[in-house]
Amino acid sequence: MNAPLLKVEGVSKSFPGVKALDDVHFDVSRGEVLALVGENGAGKSSLMKILSGIYVKDAGTIYLEGEPVEITGPRHAQDLGIIIVHQEMNLMPHLTVAQNIFIGREPRVLGFLDERRLNRDTAVLLARLGISEFRPTDLVENLTVAKQQMVEIAKALSFDAKVVIMDEPTSALTQTETDTLFRLISELKASGIGIIYISHRMEELSRIADRITVLRDGKYIGTRERTAVTQHEIIKMMVGREINENARPATMRADNVDDVVLRVEGLSTKKLLRDVSFELRRGEILGFSGLMGAGRTELARAIIGADRTTAGKIFVNGVETTISQPAHAVAKGIGYLSEDRKQLGLLLDRDVNTNILLSSLGRYANFLGFMKTGPGKGTSRKYVESLRIKTPSIFATTKNLSGGNQQKVVIAKWLARDCDILIFDEPTRGIDVGAKEEIYRLLNELVERGKSIIMISSELPEVLRLSHRIIVMANGRITGELTSNEAEQEKIMDYATRISQ
Amino acid sequence: MKFGKKALAAGIMASALALSACGDSGSSTDAGGSGDSDKVYIAMISKGFQHQFWQAVKQGAEEKAAELGVEVTFEGPASETEVDGQLQMLQAAIDKKPDAIAYAALDPQACIPLLEQAEAAKIPVVQFDAGCDSEYPVNLAQTNSLDAGALAADHMAELIGGKGEVGIVGHSQINSTGVERRDGFVNRMKEEYPDVKIVDIQYGDGDHLKSADIAKAMIQANPNLKGLYGTNEGSAIGVVNAVNELGLEKGKLKIIGFDSGKAQTDAIRDGVMAGAITQDPIGMGAATVEAAMKAINGEEQEKLTGTPFYFYNAENIDDPEIAPVLYE
Amino acid sequence: MSKTTTTTAAEKPVGEVTGPSRGSFLRDRLQQSLAFGTLIVLLIFFSLASSNFLSWSNISGILLATAVIGILAFGTTLVIVTAGIDLSIGTGMTLCAVVTGVLLVNWELPLLVGVLGGIATGALMGFINGFNVSVFKLPPFIATLAMMMIAQGLALVVSGVRPIYFSGVDGFKEIALGAIIPGLPNAVLILFLTGIAAFLLLSKTLLGRYTFAIGSNEEATKISGVNTGKWKILIYTVAGIFTGIAGVVIAARLDSAQPQLGVGYELQAIAAVIIGGTSLMGGRGSILGTLIGALIMSVLINGLRIMSVQTEWQNVVVGVVILVAVFTDSLRRRREA
Repeated sequence: MNAPLLKVEGVSKSFPGVKALDDVHFDVSRGEVLALVGENGAGKSSLMKILSGIYVKDAGTIYLEGEPVEITGPRHAQDLGIIIVHQEMNLMPHLTVAQNIFIGREPRVLGFLDERRLNRDTAVLLARLGISEFRPTDLVENLTVAKQQMVEIAKALSFDAKVVIMDEPTSALTQTETDTLFRLISELKASGIGIIYISHRMEELSRIADRITVLRDGKYIGTRERTAVTQHEIIKMMVGREINENARPATMRADNVDDVVLRVEGLSTKKLLRDVSFELRRGEILGFSGLMGAGRTELARAIIGADRTTAGKIFVNGVETTISQPAHAVAKGIGYLSEDRKQLGLLLDRDVNTNILLSSLGRYANFLGFMKTGPGKGTSRKYVESLRIKTPSIFATTKNLSGGNQQKVVIAKWLARDCDILIFDEPTRGIDVGAKEEIYRLLNELVERGKSIIMISSELPEVLRLSHRIIVMANGRITGELTSNEAEQEKIMDYATRISQ
Repeated sequence: MKFGKKALAAGIMASALALSACGDSGSSTDAGGSGDSDKVYIAMISKGFQHQFWQAVKQGAEEKAAELGVEVTFEGPASETEVDGQLQMLQAAIDKKPDAIAYAALDPQACIPLLEQAEAAKIPVVQFDAGCDSEYPVNLAQTNSLDAGALAADHMAELIGGKGEVGIVGHSQINSTGVERRDGFVNRMKEEYPDVKIVDIQYGDGDHLKSADIAKAMIQANPNLKGLYGTNEGSAIGVVNAVNELGLEKGKLKIIGFDSGKAQTDAIRDGVMAGAITQDPIGMGAATVEAAMKAINGEEQEKLTGTPFYFYNAENIDDPEIAPVLYE
Repeated sequence: MSKTTTTTAAEKPVGEVTGPSRGSFLRDRLQQSLAFGTLIVLLIFFSLASSNFLSWSNISGILLATAVIGILAFGTTLVIVTAGIDLSIGTGMTLCAVVTGVLLVNWELPLLVGVLGGIATGALMGFINGFNVSVFKLPPFIATLAMMMIAQGLALVVSGVRPIYFSGVDGFKEIALGAIIPGLPNAVLILFLTGIAAFLLLSKTLLGRYTFAIGSNEEATKISGVNTGKWKILIYTVAGIFTGIAGVVIAARLDSAQPQLGVGYELQAIAAVIIGGTSLMGGRGSILGTLIGALIMSVLINGLRIMSVQTEWQNVVVGVVILVAVFTDSLRRRREA
């Protein structure tokens, strides 16, 4: 009884050229939430993959209920009761909820699938977990991300779980949805399940973690009782240095205040946006806050012409402009940095040079279409230097850069294209704490140089810290505008939840 | 005749020189590494190799080659639409520097530049089955497809009593045999048998299954159809299959086919098919090799060798004149 | 291979009511009903255009013309639902026919042995395809393209570059052209039976469930503890069995194994699958749709032939129909997003 539920001792794992895990140890007990924190690349996901049987460890021992176990594959991990809720959705969108939850364990009669029992079992499971937001027969592709997350969790709990590992489970959830998740977690705790909770979000840890284990660069740094440690200390352990959490935006240069570079009037779309109007000034960071689904990304897409609008006018530098496709936006100097860098922002398999020059390739081609390589390389080097992109060379494959540096490459791409208005959608999503600071500093530098930034962010501290003004959206409308002086979390949340207007 | 290691060592220049003196009887070489280096080597590039017709041409050529003690290779593209693939084969053959090339053009224009190359390399070229629009080749051994098509029309008209509706299942609207066998038939009908109406012409690429489905649709669409003409083996068998599958009375619909093959000869013996035009592919193969030898030896010859064609039916199928030119 | 539906879904309004399963069921059937509608329209059009179209013997002709492509298409539906492709079914079918010919004619083995031998050849080719895709991680396009060429070559080699005639084999022709049900050629019966088998396989068995799961998100399926490699081999093998059956049917219908046949049949089968609403991206598809797709192709071609439309234009029309089918599919998807 006194042996911990799961204990990891001296686990190491190397990949060619990288030591992903180096002598890591931790343990989790029944009914406990152990938070596992660390910057990207700290080794959290490698550890998870070892526990779920996807990777084989090089050294070390894993004890389950005091007994050493060798985990041979995903199926074996499941059989042992070690269940993972993945960060990236590991669901089959074309299958139903029930079919997803019981994938690999389908009930059968005479060799044929017993769909009725499958749905019945799922209904029982959902009822047990108090989930009524969707039905066993709903197709997963029709569910929101939050509901898909709940399907993942229900799937995890449909096993005879002893240990549940959750990887960034709230990264795509709204506040209410996060609350629902935490309620589920406390139920799991009460039933004696041990939970390993991986997250970047400090404020969450103080709500649910019992103990916090910190990893850095594949090494074990330390474990603290949550009650005996401050957020500040944890962050310090993670990054190995001091971080200023409470900075506020630098004041805008006074001479820019009346210089409106972008004016949007009465923008509406068929689906969501209703009569959206605002102004963006030179040298300003304009924060857009709101809940998931409030319409912020839709607004950005409407502005750059990626989605069709049904009404509204857009003025760039005081001139009314028709933007019906992203190429027009780029020509007008508006660059959009998608939240989904990997899918929409970067060619991950190509080098840094290609990515930086991608939007402005036309300039580096002669009249026959052949590329002039020299000037292009010069441009790339310039931005690698000025944005402090950490890369061995401009010919390094972008995939191998850290999230923060990938984000910088995207920024460099738009700067190389002479974009003066930059729309950042979740600029620090998936970027670790240390690199966030770097991105923040970069955003500030950009506006000091006269660029204007629209920053869509779901992280309130980030919005508060950087924005000169904050616009709050809900349900496709603007519900409030705050200056940096009057802005505080409570006010923003108040505006953000005014859905029934 | 013999070229030793010295000549090989002297390389391509030497063989080119040797070939340039090709009036010099019997002097020949084989730079292509086709094994036996003292034999005269003739590279045959055919339109195809899978159809039984080409296999029979190959057989005739090989028999004649064995008789004359020369070596032939026979190759062709997998399908008779691969004009480009065939040109590559021709190019490779030229590069091998054979003593002569025998060629059956899939496309009469596309081959011209390559034959100029052959001319430059002083490789004599003879042709079989279908010619290239080039002056260089010294001989073409060919069945006159227009006349053959007309012969088919004569027999069809006779079979249906000089009037009524007939249809054609063609095998190609592009390559010359397909076009000429069709046109010979159509023109003869127009000129000689005004009461015969050609109601439909469709193309099944010589694919048995496709041709069968085409023939069935034609029979459905034209209830008064009296005869069907299939312009090659696959087309003709397709027509026979269609009639069998529809369970039509044997011989009610007059079918005239082309070439032979077991399925076709069986259908003729059986009475499902009224008859077919056959060329003499074995004879064509033999004639081609003979013409090539003449060219190598610098003998004068006619530009055109007409290889014979015959109409055969259940009555004359076993005649000594017919039986040897039919292939299984 | 993992597809992120997260970006689009993430931006749905929080309070949006998620469509109940019936709605999505209908939407999934839309492409099919669209295809079905197309089929009905074609049938009406051609019966008005030609009085000879709607005769039983022509309808039975259309069904017979659908048999070979249809059976091939059933097998390849499974493969395409996994987001794979099988280019080897056309020439593979020919190799199966040739093997049956060698067993029955050259070696004079019993009918059943010949038929099973042909089908086993298909299964073996499918197994090799699956093995190359799963174990050697070859892209399905490449693996099956190679198999397509190998099968084409082997068919010629095994047959000695000449057709094999079954005229001496009692009862072989009846496999396709006999009529256990009077008036209905057996080949058509086999088409429907294989269709039912494929339908049950895809919608009622574990194999079918994993076929959809792999096509929907292979990585997730693997992480869920399903041995996706093993199942993919099995799926390709099953597709190979259908290829084998098609090989026996075409040999029986032509009463001969024609070694040069088969190229291009795979594309017709794939076209039928796509017209039937199966997505090349995987995860979505149905056997009923494939059957309708195959029927659309053969009704269209038959009707155009009955109307004596020139062969060249027939191809153009079929091409346009494929474009329209795929376009409506992408239109529907865009509306969904």
